Amino acid sequence: MTGTGTRAANVRPRDWPMLDDGVHHSQQLFRQLLSAMSEPGTQQTLAVAELPAGAQLSPAAWAAVLTLCDLDTRLWVEPRLATPGLYEAVAFHTGASITESPADADFALVVPQTLSEVTSFAEGSDAWPDRSTTLIVVTDSLAEGNDWVLSGPGIADCRGLTLSAEAVPLMARLSANLATFPRGLDAFITAGHQLLAVARSTRVEARTEHAARIEEDV
Amino acid sequence: MNDFTHSAPTSEDCSASGNNDSGQNRSGYNNSGYNFAYLDEQTKRMIRRALLKAVAIPGYQVPFGGREMPMPYGWGTGGMQLTASILGADDVLKVIDQGADDTTNAVSIRSFFERVAGVETTTETARASVIQTRHRIPEKTLSNDQILVFQVPIPEPLRFIEPSEEETRVMHALEEYGVMHVKLYEDIARHGHIATTYAYPVKVDGRYVMDPSPIPKFDNPKLHMSEALMLFGAGREKRLYAIPPWTRVESLDFEDHPFEIQAWDEPCAICGATDSYLDEVITDDAGGRMFVCSDTDYCQSRREEVA
Repeated sequence: MTGTGTRAANVRPRDWPMLDDGVHHSQQLFRQLLSAMSEPGTQQTLAVAELPAGAQLSPAAWAAVLTLCDLDTRLWVEPRLATPGLYEAVAFHTGASITESPADADFALVVPQTLSEVTSFAEGSDAWPDRSTTLIVVTDSLAEGNDWVLSGPGIADCRGLTLSAEAVPLMARLSANLATFPRGLDAFITAGHQLLAVARSTRVEARTEHAARIEEDV
Repeated sequence: MNDFTHSAPTSEDCSASGNNDSGQNRSGYNNSGYNFAYLDEQTKRMIRRALLKAVAIPGYQVPFGGREMPMPYGWGTGGMQLTASILGADDVLKVIDQGADDTTNAVSIRSFFERVAGVETTTETARASVIQTRHRIPEKTLSNDQILVFQVPIPEPLRFIEPSEEETRVMHALEEYGVMHVKLYEDIARHGHIATTYAYPVKVDGRYVMDPSPIPKFDNPKLHMSEALMLFGAGREKRLYAIPPWTRVESLDFEDHPFEIQAWDEPCAICGATDSYLDEVITDDAGGRMFVCSDTDYCQSRREEVA
């Protein structure tokens, strides 16, 4: 295992919040995730307790892990997020196994910068595009705005989005999905308790690109 | 943030609702002896992960580990597994079979979920948050806070042309759909028009050719830019797929033979609707017949408006 996640110093797995109950809380969170993926760019507020001190994940990212991961899934964790005790908490709460290979991961906990360093996440194949890694991204802030313009399925016309400057490598990677569709990466992007999704079918453009394309179309 | 409450089951819970089949409490236990909404949580998670992929790749058929349900294949086991995976205690469920709320299939599935999930059910389209359907889309336009779950017998639109799953998978990968147009063309050559009237193939967001399930082609335009999320489940074939809201869905056609929906010469004999899909009902053995709305809730609500 990599990073500092191998040994829990003082944080015990049970210090990480669990679901209020295994049935209804996970169902409520799933419907929010489904809603987010169905309408890329719309924000959801996930109800989950605060994480233990020192954790680098966002509560929303942890909620997504609790909702989607189990014995059948493999999780890859960006070393910067792998604070002491995280691996034990994942094992304790979900039973998911940690993989060291991004290409084998069903889910990957990442920061935007990860996407400029790691290029080997599974994209699926043209015949089996579903065999891909879903990114769960931890960022500083999510806001409605117009730095990035999203369009495509789930979006009536277009939807604006503002992320912090550090998100550029992430959005650059997600905008490349269009060229390889149906292969590609789907992403849940989180900050605090907020979450939104960008599906691989979503067209992602920087505001300037979008403006230029609209001008061309006219 | 943590504003959910829950209570552990107590002996009081058990005795208080001893002879109530749909007794529920917040912990997901119920007196039916099954987990909330029948499926176990591990199965629900597996289906939920597949649903997220299906939504992200509109029209692509995602394989899932279909479970045996307490009814035979062909009765909506695929739709039921999807409904069970998304259903919550606060949902209001409507189930229709060919548009009707009161046929065997609809009644059984509705009472199944009343029993194993204790959810509220309705026949009113507008009140439902989840609608499971066999072979129709309700006439009333669906809204963004509703989810429509289709029961699908054969999810592969190319199956009757190419029996091999391996081949059809490659055809989807290569976007090799010419053969589908050949099939529609053969209709024109033989009948003078496109004779496919139900399960009419569509193209989703300009990429995947998809079987919209055996809905009449009358309903195809309702798939296009729908505000509601649409999920499709095929239990025997163990495939699920989806159309997110506001997605382009085109029915395949030709420039000189554009896609057309069915039309009738007469209005509904009961409510007088001229804009709904009509079923032909034989009324006697002397050739008598009438045409009535297939969507029973639509028909009834129109009659109530008039009354």
